Amino acid sequence: MSKPVEKRIPRGLDQPIGERLFQHVVLLVPLAGLALFFLYPLAIVVWRSFQQRDGAVGVGNYREILALDHLWGVVSNSLVMSGLTALISVSLGLVIAYALNRTKMPLRWLVSLALILPLLAPSLVQALGLIFMFGRNGLVTYLTGIEMQIYGLPGLVIANSMYALPQAVMIMAVALRHADRRQYDAALVLGASPWRRFVDITLPALRFGILSAAFVCFTVTITDFGNAAVIGGNYRVLASEIYAQVVGQMNFNMGAVVGILLLIPTLLAFYLEKVAAQRGGTGEGAIPVEPDRWAPRDIPLWLAAHLTALFLIAIVAVVVFASFVQLWPYKMSLTLKNYNITTQGGYDPLWTSLYASLITAAFGTLMLFALVLAQRKMPRSSARLVYLLAIIPVGVPGLVLGLSYVLSFNVKPVFPGILYGSVLLIAFCNFYHYHSQGFLTMVTGIRNVPKQLEETVTTIGGGTWASLRDAIIPIMVPTLISVFFFLFMRGMVTLSAVIFLITPKLSVGAVSVMRLDQAGSSTQAAAFSVLIMLTVLVAMGLLRAILRLQEAFPKRGAWH
Amino acid sequence: MKNKIPFLAGLALSVAALPAFAGEITVYTALEEDEVAAYLERAAADMPDVTVNVLRLSTGDLGARLIAEAGNPQADVVWGFAVTNMLNPGIYDQLEPYAAKGEEALNQQFRDKDGRWFAPTGYVGAFCVNTERLAQLGAPVPASWADLKNPAYKGEVVMPDPSSSGTGYLQIAAILQGAGEEAGWQLIRDIDPNMAQYTTSGSRPCRMAQAGEFAIGASLSYVAMQGIDEGYPIQMVIPSDYAGFELEANGLMKSTDNPEDAKRFLDWTLSAGAVEAYAARKDLVTIPGVPRSPQAEKAGLPEDLASVLFPMNFAASGETRDAIIAKWRETVGR
Repeated sequence: MSKPVEKRIPRGLDQPIGERLFQHVVLLVPLAGLALFFLYPLAIVVWRSFQQRDGAVGVGNYREILALDHLWGVVSNSLVMSGLTALISVSLGLVIAYALNRTKMPLRWLVSLALILPLLAPSLVQALGLIFMFGRNGLVTYLTGIEMQIYGLPGLVIANSMYALPQAVMIMAVALRHADRRQYDAALVLGASPWRRFVDITLPALRFGILSAAFVCFTVTITDFGNAAVIGGNYRVLASEIYAQVVGQMNFNMGAVVGILLLIPTLLAFYLEKVAAQRGGTGEGAIPVEPDRWAPRDIPLWLAAHLTALFLIAIVAVVVFASFVQLWPYKMSLTLKNYNITTQGGYDPLWTSLYASLITAAFGTLMLFALVLAQRKMPRSSARLVYLLAIIPVGVPGLVLGLSYVLSFNVKPVFPGILYGSVLLIAFCNFYHYHSQGFLTMVTGIRNVPKQLEETVTTIGGGTWASLRDAIIPIMVPTLISVFFFLFMRGMVTLSAVIFLITPKLSVGAVSVMRLDQAGSSTQAAAFSVLIMLTVLVAMGLLRAILRLQEAFPKRGAWH
Repeated sequence: MKNKIPFLAGLALSVAALPAFAGEITVYTALEEDEVAAYLERAAADMPDVTVNVLRLSTGDLGARLIAEAGNPQADVVWGFAVTNMLNPGIYDQLEPYAAKGEEALNQQFRDKDGRWFAPTGYVGAFCVNTERLAQLGAPVPASWADLKNPAYKGEVVMPDPSSSGTGYLQIAAILQGAGEEAGWQLIRDIDPNMAQYTTSGSRPCRMAQAGEFAIGASLSYVAMQGIDEGYPIQMVIPSDYAGFELEANGLMKSTDNPEDAKRFLDWTLSAGAVEAYAARKDLVTIPGVPRSPQAEKAGLPEDLASVLFPMNFAASGETRDAIIAKWRETVGR
């Protein structure tokens, strides 16, 4: 491929005022959001990490943490666990994303559905599902008599891979969706074997997607505490260290130090940004690659995809089953009593979650889309800054984010104090918690919009609006939908940060699940989770139906 | 459209930072969900003109929330919160001394000398023993911490990690204060080979025992009682040697803008109505002369619980906390 030539849209006075305004708005609004809802709270965490016990300001807390005897063991545990998880999620994710997008796999819908299950079930309940299935007193032990050892590293890697896999597939599927068929045709003519075509054409085009997915899988699991608490056994990780410091010993500032240390892996983003800057991918007017058949490749891929799907479905199926059981695992008779929710607020928190998650998804998708549009038009140096800023949130553990929101927004001045205790703050918190995943998916997606196409539209007299409508949006629609649903699902079930933002009068579904579990009824917790999952599925079904309806009407100037 | 925007904004912000109305107070509590519901029902009957808005979180989460909110506190009253955490300066300094009506009846041990907190109730460290799993192992039901040294329990005991769970810390502190430094650490070392896991949360060991994942979970009395109530095959054992306990303390927030109703609520927690509600369900009531609750009786709690409890020194156990946790980590090496 020839060296990319930087072509710039003409700037300056020859641009109509409306367009310049548009450029500013799409950049400044998302940046203002990031500044208020991410940088400002993060700055407070950094500040806290330097406040020493003796009241002085300095690096004493860092020295204290780094001198802890067990710290290095915990660090290496975290690295091993997240490394393994990233390896498993990315390789399996690549197989599944490829099978979904490039082969004629039977029962595609089933695999797609299975892949969203880990995103829409609260992680607490998923870990319960794993224990119900593989625990020392679980179904497998019961049926086979072999006592499984799920607690510790194996269980933690399985649980975290379940959580990371759908995110890896989301990013890589977007990368796979767009490739130029002509490249493959040319290779075919030259007599390249299917394997060579994969290694020489598919993989290089996927490089950014694979690296982004690996980055996300690594950072989300190194900061995740939920699975470590339920299934990690004695395998201690850094995220449990934060919990021990903040919640166990009420040492806020020490917890902040560990939180800051956990940001180190996000420095990998510098490298990622370099790769992103290499304009790879498609040239002008790419012709989509049609899925084809080739048995030696397809059969192992399908097997892997379907077995993974089966596993994911089985875990959720156990949870659904348990929600109808009298007393797991001692009285297995069926009942509906678990659905009679008597905790604070009954079913109300579910509706609050739905409302907040729709805000999260709509606001988030809009902000991220604007940000990638703006970033595309920016000079390299400033684009790099935006990129890094957008990607750091993934390195912040939910517990730290939630507490930083309390410190930032529970203030006396009307703004931003008025947000504290509101649904809006919960919605924003959930969005910025998952900002990086959405951003990387969007960047992967927009890389597939050929610049030349955009410029063609502009030169034939269309403005920014026309290029958006005719060039960018039609290609971006699947990506926008993926990001929207991802944010929506995470908003419905995320607990870690939100637990610090609920009030006596305002709670969300994930908190109800936690409360039911704390009150000793795992079957009721399972029941509430089933209701959350149903709500998400119904909402997604409705939204999809609306999208279909819109597609049924002919679009003006759609580009295919 | 013009009218709609303020409406939507109002809807979204409906709960934000509303000024406290007369007759309305915000109470933060770590009491159990079902307790809160029962007590509030009674409180509503006794004080119909006060609306009590309750935020219920686990002890650790609530402590973090209270400290984080210190700059602009939202609560009027802290209710039923572990006294060990209450003594953390980040929270203790936010409390206003107040002598609630009837407080003088409580033993010195159960109230602050400066009057910032008093504790009418509490809970006790307890083992949840899964009788079915134990029968399969052919091992006896343990009666004390010392019994847990029995090699028959290898890999079958779970207890909370004192560095992340207040429950875990209270158990270790009771052993150390009861047996003395040297014998205490020796006992902790001796039971370590049988410990399958040190869990993050204090209730998790009992939940694991009730699900039959492990035979014995060292946890708390109310967690065990909940499990027994649900119908799991578990038995509650209050260790006969070092039964640690924790007090559930109440206190008035300095920042309250409705001190009158906040004080009325605190008075209520010692009133005849509240005592009646405690007697119906609570395992440890510090108010003299309150009979043992039916649940406590069913779970096999001794009639005179106070005589079994080791006289814990909360102030001392708070001061030495960091040193004990560091030494514990070194001792068990996990």
